[in-house]
Amino acid sequence: MIAEEKNNQAGSVDSNGVIVLKNLTKKFGKKLVLDNISLSIEKGKTTVIIGPSGCGKTVLLKHLIVLLRPTSGNVYLDQRRIDNLNEDELNQVRTRYGFLFQGGALFDSISVFENIIFPITQHYKITNWEEIDALVKNKLTMVGLDGFQKFYPAKLSGGEKKRVALARAIALNPELILYDEPTTGLDPIRSDVINELILKLQRELGVTSIAVTHDMTSAYKIADRIVMLHKGKILADGDADYIRNHPHPIVQQFIHGQIDDEDLLSLQSNETTSPSQFVSQNSKN
Amino acid sequence: MMVTNAINGLDNLGQFARFVFRSIAASVESCRKSATYPLIWTQMNIIGVHSVPIVMVTGAFVGMILAIQAYDQLAAFGAEEHLGVLINISVVKELGPVLAAVMLAGRIGGALTAELGTMKVTEQIDAIKSMGTDPVKYLVAPRVLACLLLAPFLIIFADLLGIIGGYFVSVIHFGINSRAYWTFSALGVELWDVAIGVIKGFFFGAAIAVISCYKGFTCKEGAHGVGQACTEAFVASFISILALDFALAVFFKAIYNTLWPVKSLI
Ligand SMILES: Nc1ncnc2c1ncn2[C@@H]1O[C@H](COP(=O)(O)OP(=O)(O)OP(=O)(O)O)[C@@H](O)[C@H]1O
Ligand SMILES: [Mg+2]
Repeated sequence: MIAEEKNNQAGSVDSNGVIVLKNLTKKFGKKLVLDNISLSIEKGKTTVIIGPSGCGKTVLLKHLIVLLRPTSGNVYLDQRRIDNLNEDELNQVRTRYGFLFQGGALFDSISVFENIIFPITQHYKITNWEEIDALVKNKLTMVGLDGFQKFYPAKLSGGEKKRVALARAIALNPELILYDEPTTGLDPIRSDVINELILKLQRELGVTSIAVTHDMTSAYKIADRIVMLHKGKILADGDADYIRNHPHPIVQQFIHGQIDDEDLLSLQSNETTSPSQFVSQNSKN
Repeated sequence: MMVTNAINGLDNLGQFARFVFRSIAASVESCRKSATYPLIWTQMNIIGVHSVPIVMVTGAFVGMILAIQAYDQLAAFGAEEHLGVLINISVVKELGPVLAAVMLAGRIGGALTAELGTMKVTEQIDAIKSMGTDPVKYLVAPRVLACLLLAPFLIIFADLLGIIGGYFVSVIHFGINSRAYWTFSALGVELWDVAIGVIKGFFFGAAIAVISCYKGFTCKEGAHGVGQACTEAFVASFISILALDFALAVFFKAIYNTLWPVKSLI
């Protein structure tokens, strides 16, 4: 029933992108999450991945940096195959990336400051601490959190954690940044600050960004290209206008946040279940 | 069903073997890089300082209990002055090292597994990878080295308190002549006995750390997963302490026999 996009047919993918996925399939046990996906990410552009919850967006993003290995299919970075590298070789490759985890994944035993300098300490010998202080201040200012250096992650709100994690992801000025839901959990104003930051990084530093999001306002604002995933396949792929006017009903439902008939039916059928049917455990009878 | 279980078992074993190998390689490499010394130092503080009292208490009780239990048997044929040999050799060769290691497995193994397991389920380990750092080098190596270096010290503390505990009960409670007690002890316990007890510590410490870290790294999702990983880590550490103890006993006995072939006959 679901027609795949034409440019997603096996073999026809443009292999000149910075990151290229070829016929990527991922299964967890028997569960098929990504089904033969081919995708080419263009250098210096912002690609946004949208799709319903649980459709495999995070799994797809993790394959781009090989935090997950494909069940079948390949991942290429600058035409070099990377899904078969060993961990040492991968660590070399990964220094080119910044990755913002959906849950932040801050190190909770060290402070915000130490979190942000972590990637720096891992790859450089720090000699000038004043420079580092300034760098951390600069990154935290970008996400609107200067002054939080000494805090521990446990003391931060969900949105603050996300923003510190973003500051950490961009600490080494990576050329490729993968954002997993950068604006979820933020208020509309903060979301827009993050949108502007993503745009700024792309414009000023020529960063290639891949962002997963549910937030269509954000998607339209930052995307050069939007890819919609559905049931493990690419359902739509094009610029913001193309997606807005996409004829497929599932795409339209998703971008307008409309519930589909099937879901509506399942909600209605539950209406007959009311608390009065249950006998209270406290009642004596 | 049986076949899949067997295959899974082998698969896990292979995975564990690879983890052990990577941990050893990373630990050796860390020794040469002064950048990781602060990490090792931090872990040594966490692991070492707070383990000393519990290990000392354990040691003292073991010495005292041995004295109480063995006195009657020896006194029956008038050999109570030999009590010191019996207590001290048991403490330095077996009970000190094994009990110190078990305490370490309980106190530290569980904590290591829980810490790394929580890091795993909150994606902190993936975060380390995503920044181009090997989590085995950053997390496992310092912990393995800290445990490996500290276990022998803890064993020395356990030995020391075991000897003192045994002495108090024997000399003060049972009134054995103090001089005779020490003379027989000195004759019966060789430096070799103390040394192998302490050397075992390196093996026990490394085994506890590697197993606990592995269980943390392969921990399943959720609070239940972390709890289960901790239990499994303790059981596996405990079994491997005993198995290593046995293997090392056989090994050191063979060495002893080749070095001093005559002595072993006496
Ligand atoms: N490590 C794993 N083991 C087993 N199944 C997994 C694993 N990771 C993800 N999955 C499954 O893959 C599917 C896709 O997960 P994923 O996290 O990519 O969803 P998502 O599109 O990012 O959803 P959301 O928008 O809610 O974050 C889910 O059904 C999930 O159960
Ligand atoms: Mg997700």
